[in-house]
Amino acid sequence: MTARTAAPPPLEVREVTVRFAGLTALDEVSFTVAPRTVHAVIGPNGAGKSTCFNVLSGLYRPVSGTVRLGERELTRLAPHRIAALGVARTFQNIVTTQGTVADNLMLGRHALSRAGFAASALRLPRAVREQREHLARAREIAELTGLGALFDTPVALLSYGDRKRVELARALCLEPRVLLLDEPVAGMNAGERVRMAEVVGEVRAELGLSVVLVEHDMGLVMRLADEVTVLDFGRRIAHGTPDQVRRDPEVLRAYLGTGAGGEDAA
Amino acid sequence: MSDLLRRGRLLIPVLLLCALPFYLDAFWLRIGLFSMAAAIGAVGLGLLSGTAGQLSLGHAFFLAVGAYGYVWLAGDDGPGLPPAVALVLAVLLAGAAGGLFSPVAGRVKGIYLGVATLALVFLGHHVLLTADSVTGGFNGSSVPPLEVGGFAFDQGDGLAVLGVPFGAEERLWYLGLALFALTWFTARGLLRGRPGRALVALRDSETAAAVMGVHVARYRSAAFVVSSMYAGLAGVLLALAFRRVVPDYFSLALSVDYLAMIVIGGLGSVAGATAGAVFVTALPLLMTRYADQLPLVAAPGSGDGSLGPTEAARYLYGAAIVVILLFAPDGLTGLARRARARLARRRRPASAPSDPGAAPRPPATAVRAKEHTP
Repeated sequence: MTARTAAPPPLEVREVTVRFAGLTALDEVSFTVAPRTVHAVIGPNGAGKSTCFNVLSGLYRPVSGTVRLGERELTRLAPHRIAALGVARTFQNIVTTQGTVADNLMLGRHALSRAGFAASALRLPRAVREQREHLARAREIAELTGLGALFDTPVALLSYGDRKRVELARALCLEPRVLLLDEPVAGMNAGERVRMAEVVGEVRAELGLSVVLVEHDMGLVMRLADEVTVLDFGRRIAHGTPDQVRRDPEVLRAYLGTGAGGEDAA
Repeated sequence: MSDLLRRGRLLIPVLLLCALPFYLDAFWLRIGLFSMAAAIGAVGLGLLSGTAGQLSLGHAFFLAVGAYGYVWLAGDDGPGLPPAVALVLAVLLAGAAGGLFSPVAGRVKGIYLGVATLALVFLGHHVLLTADSVTGGFNGSSVPPLEVGGFAFDQGDGLAVLGVPFGAEERLWYLGLALFALTWFTARGLLRGRPGRALVALRDSETAAAVMGVHVARYRSAAFVVSSMYAGLAGVLLALAFRRVVPDYFSLALSVDYLAMIVIGGLGSVAGATAGAVFVTALPLLMTRYADQLPLVAAPGSGDGSLGPTEAARYLYGAAIVVILLFAPDGLTGLARRARARLARRRRPASAPSDPGAAPRPPATAVRAKEHTP
């Protein structure tokens, strides 16, 4: 019922290539997410960041390369198996389901609970008890992400920023060891961005999980990330700490389209 | 405390329904009985189409499997099992038939499943007509009455309770109530539990459901199997109420009737499916009964090209579907919810904070997130 306490195993991405009908979306991309760190994947639009997430969560199958979580290879597993191993994600465009915040969060408990069709239909005591226990944990996570007061509110009535946080809370309900955040602050106003950054920082400290972050907001990336991988046209063009990446001439060229001049890089 | 109160509120309609056979004649009881059977089937289809978002035009097929399964299993042509055992086996048989279709039902989604299930209706109808030895062919076969512990649900031996003669309709009324209560209890348990949430997620976004750990194909097939089992149960009850099963009843039109029920009632809720089932079932029967008092409707069987009551009922509920889709896409349940919310607002001073439960919920279609295309 409680959060997994052991350190998450490292997430290793090794020479992953994804092709769509001739277009190479990812070209032998490698990086490793060390346990309990925040690893940012950045790059211009169309660089392959979301493709990378879809490989990590099992929605796309790469033509070559492997993704490993500790000893387990994820590349051949179906999305629901990967979820069961403790890899949770959010989406760039919000994908919530009908119902209240509680309903959405309880969906996040799906992989951790057992009650099947027969047990739920007959409302067997163990199904009822299980539901109650998971609801209590979902409420804790709602409090942690600042959704406590909205727990029984239909998601459709929430603001954009709150719905983004519902997605985060739902992913946390999986008790993940690795959390994949796809543009968690996109479209948010300044106040919501600051709150979201705080929440991400808090949950990492409190739940001890690894975070992979795709984000365009450089301020957020620089503040949260321990390591940064930069993609452009599906290739890894730079890698390192936020400071190293910020000074990398390749990165400046990809983002600003200027020649690789080193002297004006700041 | 509030739990007790809620149970108390449920008690009144239950008592009312139990008392009705003492006051109503066989005509009204038969309407109620057909409505209860339809409601059981509609709840099953609602689970599949309303909750899981999988269109099925094959519901009539599974009703037929339940009805004919019971008739054959309990009849003299078949193994002649005790009728109560035959009832349970017929429901399981319908579930197994749904399971056989699961390679399709697990992979094909939405409207494409609708087209695939269309084949089942025609296949079923053909088999019912041609497999004479089991089904009785075109003329169908008579339905052996249900017997539980020596008590027969048929015309019987002049049993009277409190001075009211208890014939087949009165007895079957209580059987229908019991089966409907079972359906209500189990379906609501499913919808509010883990499987219900997984199915809603599948409908709203397959990708999100998969990423949250839902085994997509397995849950799609399971929804189909469960829906078939409810259809099978509805089929058995219908057979008992009709006392004779004929192939022509289980046509495509019946499947469409069931879709009309869940749309009129409001997708995704047990109460909605029930309300829709009562509406669609009772309307043609009532119109037939009162045809002579209705304008523009001819008496049944007058055959001079004028509008008969059955056709008139079809026009009426066709119109009801159009009106509902245009003005209340969440069906009768949505209308009821909005009416309740309005009442609550009127009763309360305007300054009081609104209860989130009473807040108008947008229709299901509006909440549905767009499928995530990564």
